[in-house]
Amino acid sequence: MPEVAYHAVALDTLRLVAADDLIFAYHRASGITHLLAPPAPEILNILAEAPMRADELLVQLAALYDLADGDLAMLVARLDELVAAGLVWRA
Amino acid sequence: MTDASPPKDQGAPRLATRRRALLLGAVGATAVVSIRPALAQTTASVLTCQIPVPDHGRAGSYIAADGKVVPSGTVGAFRPASQPFDREAVRRALQGGQLPGVDADRSRAYLKYIQRLQSGTSGFSCFASLQMPRG
Repeated sequence: MPEVAYHAVALDTLRLVAADDLIFAYHRASGITHLLAPPAPEILNILAEAPMRADELLVQLAALYDLADGDLAMLVARLDELVAAGLVWRA
Repeated sequence: MTDASPPKDQGAPRLATRRRALLLGAVGATAVVSIRPALAQTTASVLTCQIPVPDHGRAGSYIAADGKVVPSGTVGAFRPASQPFDREAVRRALQGGQLPGVDADRSRAYLKYIQRLQSGTSGFSCFASLQMPRG
């Protein structure tokens, strides 16, 4: 089980615009606009409140949403995307 | 069209709140597309840049634990950094390390300050270069 915790940028550093199920997130710190599809916004919501490991995040997501595919590997793949985008980091 | 900034009186802005079905998706699918501005092309020129804490316009001010800039002498806040931090030191600290020459609490406060930098403050373009997506 990965011990590393994932941290998200503070949500108030983002300018958020909803477009149906998609979210445009302008990250003021980087000047980059990210187009987020589920589950990326949901992941950021949770991590922005408290950093946590991927397995802990999966439990949180399952508590908040009806997860149709609760697979840790998939969640880590989504987290990796957010890390690559600069919205999440590992520490 | 909505307002120019997130509402300040409703706490942190929320990205999604409804309980509903959520698909984590297949490995290989993508949930994030990043649109990079021309600024991203300037990364090479800022590889050796530095970030002052706080920025020069607020030199002498203290940094609170949450990263906000507060008046000099504020109890519980940290003195400003005696010298700017190199980009590489900040990059390492953001990846779970600590800023050089300061203790863990001070490092956390400084990093929160750095992560809140906005365009127009010194150190912003340097920090922004650290935020660029890979590739």
